Amino acid sequence: MNEYIKIFFIILQRDLTLVFRNKAEFINPLMFFVIVIILFPLAFGSDATLLKQLTSGIIWVTALLATVLSLETIFRTDFEDGSIEQLILARYPLTLMVSAKVTAHWIIFGLPLIFIAVLTGFILSLSSQTMFALFFTLLLSTPVLSLIGAITVALTIGLRGGMLLSLLILPLYMPVLIFSMLAVQNATAGQSISAEIYFLAGILVLALTLAPITTAAALRIRLS
Amino acid sequence: MNLYKALPLWFHKLGALKYFYEISHVISRWVSVICVICFITGLYGGLVLAPADYQQGDSFRIMYMHVPSAWMSLFIYMVMAISGGIGLIWRVKLAEIVARSSAPIGATFTFLALATGAIWGKPMWGTWWVWDARLTSELILLFLYLGYIALQSAFEDRRVAARAGAILALVGIVNIPIIHYSVEWWSTLHQGPTVSKLDKPSIHMSMLIPLLLMTLACKTFYVSSLLIRIRTEILEYECNSSWVKHLLGNNKNVSN
Amino acid sequence: MALFKVNNLQCVRRDNILFQGLSFKLEDGGLLQIDGVNGSGKSSLLQMCIGLIQITEGNISWNQTDIRDCRYQFQTDMTYFGHTNGVKTGLTALENMKVMHALSGFKSEVDYSLILKQIGLAGMDDVLLSRMSAGQKRRVGLTRIFMASSKLWLLDEPFNALDKNGKKIIEQLIVSHCKAGGMVIFATHQTMEIDGYPLQHIHLG
Repeated sequence: MNEYIKIFFIILQRDLTLVFRNKAEFINPLMFFVIVIILFPLAFGSDATLLKQLTSGIIWVTALLATVLSLETIFRTDFEDGSIEQLILARYPLTLMVSAKVTAHWIIFGLPLIFIAVLTGFILSLSSQTMFALFFTLLLSTPVLSLIGAITVALTIGLRGGMLLSLLILPLYMPVLIFSMLAVQNATAGQSISAEIYFLAGILVLALTLAPITTAAALRIRLS
Repeated sequence: MNLYKALPLWFHKLGALKYFYEISHVISRWVSVICVICFITGLYGGLVLAPADYQQGDSFRIMYMHVPSAWMSLFIYMVMAISGGIGLIWRVKLAEIVARSSAPIGATFTFLALATGAIWGKPMWGTWWVWDARLTSELILLFLYLGYIALQSAFEDRRVAARAGAILALVGIVNIPIIHYSVEWWSTLHQGPTVSKLDKPSIHMSMLIPLLLMTLACKTFYVSSLLIRIRTEILEYECNSSWVKHLLGNNKNVSN
Repeated sequence: MALFKVNNLQCVRRDNILFQGLSFKLEDGGLLQIDGVNGSGKSSLLQMCIGLIQITEGNISWNQTDIRDCRYQFQTDMTYFGHTNGVKTGLTALENMKVMHALSGFKSEVDYSLILKQIGLAGMDDVLLSRMSAGQKRRVGLTRIFMASSKLWLLDEPFNALDKNGKKIIEQLIVSHCKAGGMVIFATHQTMEIDGYPLQHIHLG
């Protein structure tokens, strides 16, 4: 058991080291996130009341798109340099190592995204309840986005690029988006958000249990 | 031989593609006949015999295409996921083929349900599209189908494609209830009830029987077109085997 | 006495039969070279042997057990080196070796610097792989056969990108591994200079 934990952290550390040595991979999706958010006021005009209604939705949809763009990095280089084969052939369960890789993706992308999203909300003067809901929904959802995303990336890695990936992944992201936005809107209206939060937590638990196993199976299939 | 022993044997035999290819021809023909009969009687019952609805007038009659298509769209996705799972776990080639061949038919039914829904919506709601919960779930389902088909065409090796598709379909089947529930919740909070739907189960017999006939027609249509697709796919799967080469008249020039 | 056995194996890729009815076996000290033209299925055969590609017909067994039934044991006894190096260019040689050592199950205490010296990369422990030449990267990838200390090696084009000296080092490694009772299967179209060690041969295509 101890050995398993050790392997988990070795893979995690490896992926984090790689990203911190190649910072563009880490910064680009976040830059994309900020730039797309700026596009909306340019498109809708600077009417403050209209923008205030749209802001949380814009932040959420942009977060989804940025996630889709960032997902490929989970397995792309590993696929190109043959590291995936070595992970599959290692003496440890592939599920374990996949979990480590997904965790790394969340730390690199999901965690900064939460803070940038909240910061953006702050600058665009969202109310404190809305920001609170935004923070909590993102905290519960970004791991789900990484986990479900990993399955589809594992299936499509090395095939026809990002278009296919986004076609497969976006329908699966819709429930998370719906529950999160309901929570944010309830919070804005001053109502309780516990029901939506419980749902998101339930989805997170489901994804945590099933997604790594499925991702491992998908990787084996993709490589055969 | 008793049934207990006979059934697995029969299953095994059915799983053999050559045997399936031979018997499916006959089955396909008979199922098509049933399909045509149900379709004609169902349409006659629905469009001519059934009385006009006291609220919706004649426009409700599109239900006879809309409702069975919507049912079929979900049913076929279930078939796809389950047979994909069987192919994945027990490596049954036939199950892989069933899953792969079902996808386009399912996507067509989903599209049909959406299109008839929109046409029905025009006289009822005054607009082609309303963000109604069922229509929205149906739209997401269509994208799940299209994703599956896109994934199938991205792989070069069809067996790998079938297994990858099975994973996607299984992930989809776990997601469908969540999607359905979330969309329902979302639309009740946003829209309020926009339509007075048909009074719940109290549907008159003269309306119900044509609906059931049309459902049967859709089911049999699915089965017969699935069998035709399967037969084609079997020939592609087995293009290296001697029986297919023999079937194609020992033509050495037949390319794979 | 270990035994690696391939029985009546068939390989179908994209509806083309690459080979069928292939059988061979390898015992302690066995050395097997697979050759054949491009696209004849050399890499596919090796990937079937390690269980990456699904076997459609025939079977492969390790110590009389089908490899699909003893995946863990087989992966413990086997090291695969593919035509990609399986190393990260963003890491140093030492970091790469540590990961490889971990993945192979921390089998034995290893002296990383000594291994690098043996493979001809003395003193390059802390050099990033992105600064190395193709041949040097390949050598770093090859260090995994030291780390794993496993019985069976499967090498796919091990001499690619290696210079004369590098090729010699690998040849000597292979022969000494076999002399110590190990087994090696490798695919290459280059000729081996192995000073009279008995070499089995399989020609595909």
